[in-house]
Amino acid sequence: MNGLLHKLRPERLRELVLLLLIFVVLLFFSTVIEYYLNARLFNRVSTSVAIMGVLAIGQTLVVLTRNIDLSVGSMVGFTAYFVGQQLSQNNEITPLVAIFMAIGVGALMGGFNGFLVAFCRIPAIIVTLGTMALYRTLLVEYSDAQTVLTVNLPQWLLDLPRFNVLSYERLHLRLMVAGMLVVVILFQLSLRYTSFGRKLYAVGSNPEAARNSGFPNRKIIFTAFVMCGALAGLTGFMYLARFGNITVVAGSGLELKSVAAVVVGGVNIFGGSGSIFGAVLGAVIIDLLENSLIRWLQISEFWRDAMLGILILASVATDSVIMKRFRDYRLKKLAQMNS
Amino acid sequence: MLNISKCFDMTQALDGVSLKMYPGEIHALVGENGAGKSTLIKILTGIQQADQGEIRLSGKPVQINNSQEAQAYGIAAIYQEPLLFPDLDVAENIFISHQNQGFFVRWNKIYEEAEKILNDLGVRIDVHNAASGLTIAAQQAVEIAKAISMNVRVLIMDEPTASLSDHEVNQLFRVARQLKQDNVALLFISHRLEEVFEIADRITVLRDGRHISTNALSTVTKDSLVKEMVGREVDQFYATGKTRVVGKRICSVKNLSKESTFSNINFELHEGEILGFAGLVGSRRTDVGLAMFGINPADSGSIELEGKTVKINSPQTAKKLGIVYMTEDRHQLGLAMPMSITSNITLPSLSRYLGKFGIINKEKEDETANEFKNRLQIKTTSLEQEVSTLSGGNQQKVMFSKWLNTQPKIIILDEPTRGIDVGAKAEVHAMIQELAEKGLSIICISSDLPEVLAMSDRILIMREGKQMGIVKSQNATPESVMSLAMGQNKES
Repeated sequence: MNGLLHKLRPERLRELVLLLLIFVVLLFFSTVIEYYLNARLFNRVSTSVAIMGVLAIGQTLVVLTRNIDLSVGSMVGFTAYFVGQQLSQNNEITPLVAIFMAIGVGALMGGFNGFLVAFCRIPAIIVTLGTMALYRTLLVEYSDAQTVLTVNLPQWLLDLPRFNVLSYERLHLRLMVAGMLVVVILFQLSLRYTSFGRKLYAVGSNPEAARNSGFPNRKIIFTAFVMCGALAGLTGFMYLARFGNITVVAGSGLELKSVAAVVVGGVNIFGGSGSIFGAVLGAVIIDLLENSLIRWLQISEFWRDAMLGILILASVATDSVIMKRFRDYRLKKLAQMNS
Repeated sequence: MLNISKCFDMTQALDGVSLKMYPGEIHALVGENGAGKSTLIKILTGIQQADQGEIRLSGKPVQINNSQEAQAYGIAAIYQEPLLFPDLDVAENIFISHQNQGFFVRWNKIYEEAEKILNDLGVRIDVHNAASGLTIAAQQAVEIAKAISMNVRVLIMDEPTASLSDHEVNQLFRVARQLKQDNVALLFISHRLEEVFEIADRITVLRDGRHISTNALSTVTKDSLVKEMVGREVDQFYATGKTRVVGKRICSVKNLSKESTFSNINFELHEGEILGFAGLVGSRRTDVGLAMFGINPADSGSIELEGKTVKINSPQTAKKLGIVYMTEDRHQLGLAMPMSITSNITLPSLSRYLGKFGIINKEKEDETANEFKNRLQIKTTSLEQEVSTLSGGNQQKVMFSKWLNTQPKIIILDEPTRGIDVGAKAEVHAMIQELAEKGLSIICISSDLPEVLAMSDRILIMREGKQMGIVKSQNATPESVMSLAMGQNKES
């Protein structure tokens, strides 16, 4: 029992609860919707999670440092448009170059956010609220209100969303999903096992102590924003591949969804704790619910928007009511064992 | 007649503790950390509720469900760190909780009354000043004034002196005695037994949530109290500094100054030496420490390390040069509370644990953490636990481990025993002595005068940013150090 209490850190418990919740959601909808559990559901949800998941990873990095990035939606939109535009004009660009182009553009925009937050000491919520509008306007200006059209895009890009790594009957593991999984594992491991990860948590949980330990706090926060931007860029590329037609409103609303995924996934909005895995599970829940509610005809589609809000509130509420109790109980028990 | 008695059973925190307080009496409450003092206060002030037992006020049982109700009964508390509204002025802070008398705020009356209360207390504070600019002592005075304005009958003082200098403590005690004359029942909680003996009429000892004894001051001695608090004999309160042989000079500081903070600090530090920094609050001792660690670098003057002049303008540089600073504020500045013990210990020296691709070598990390756990006897069931699960003394040991692991030449300790209990204090003292014997140079900033005198080889005394002198601790007495710290021509 005590050994279990040791291992069961609050974020682990959170992840277990999320897995359970996913299971419950699946169970519930399979009873109210006919032919709910099928390969198409998996294929569809996994593809949209691929996009949200990558974005949520970036948001997690920033939130861990006690900041927030509200400009991710605009960054996704801009990179999607920018890369789409380049590919339309020049179909010879290779996939790798296109991906790096997206990551680079995103990193640049993230770097601008990071510079303002870390070095000019402007609160992240203000900076990214500003750049959210700024990057969106940049997109409108740059695009001249034109739309990237599927017909102009190279064939490989259009085939990408349906390219499978593995298939079992009609169950497909899309390349994009596999790509997301690689990114998830990469970041989950590096947060846990590298000095960069350790520093990120340290800066988030006690910035003063981190500074006294000789950490370059500003550089760490800056890096978090650059990475968030880069991941938003990658998301932009995936978004382009999935939807093809990119308008000036592409990606708007994703900032809210990414913050929701992070919060639902148990990352502390005040920094310092949480995991990548949790945030991705948060993204899974959100996309799963969204996809399921569309097919549940009893629910008006206006209520679907409310779902996101309810989910955020519910998870924060459980966090402050149930999780807090658990945390206190656990700390008390462990403190008793120590004394 | 005021009579509070409580018997309740809160699993481990408090177990059937009874306490009687009388008006016009100062009742001291002592006990090690975790003895249940804080829980008791929380129950009295309505922050927590007792599971069993009752509180009687003037013989009548009362139910205190929240702090407003406590205030209404005339029960107030002041704490080590006062909780004022920094942007409001003194008078507004004093009258914050009864501005609902009428729709309009009668400002003139508020300022008048605030001034009157403070005058009666013999405290000179401008009631128009913002609370954020006040010293901690002045903030406490404001808290007391606030309590008086609400017709306080029971005033709880929870470690009020922990961040005060001796002079300010005297001032606080004067106020306390004044309240005693006004028939307020005072509950005084302190880790410093000297103070308890100075001010208390009766003393209650708690241990492990149990009531051990309540005695009149005249019937107890320091030794008997300490014995009751720790439940074992403590031969010596302070490990007396053995005459150590100090080595060669390692560091010399010349004319170190920082604009409007401190000026012309000069001292030398030798291998294996403990140099105490004594002074009252506001003497800027901590600022000298912060300057040497590069957090707030000095403007002028030089620091020479092993014969070479060095420029320290960031903690990174200081760390590289082998100078580290252990903060007095574990929670805010020292430890990353939600992170594990191990990761806290290796935090400043993380680069030593990196393998390929910046991946942390967990085994090596665990090895180090284990080593320190054994060496400093950190009491924990697992090193993977969050630091927040540890007691104050053990957290202090984690801080020691963290900085010792950087293999420093000079360690600056800022109030190393602040807020930890008697047993842990003795352990920390022994540890510091041992480190010095191994050749580490130590600067020990402490407001605890007996501690500085017993620990140090020499003592540097500061007053308001100026160096008043350096004395050998063999030749020093508490009086001689204090008179320097207060400036000779001022009386205490």
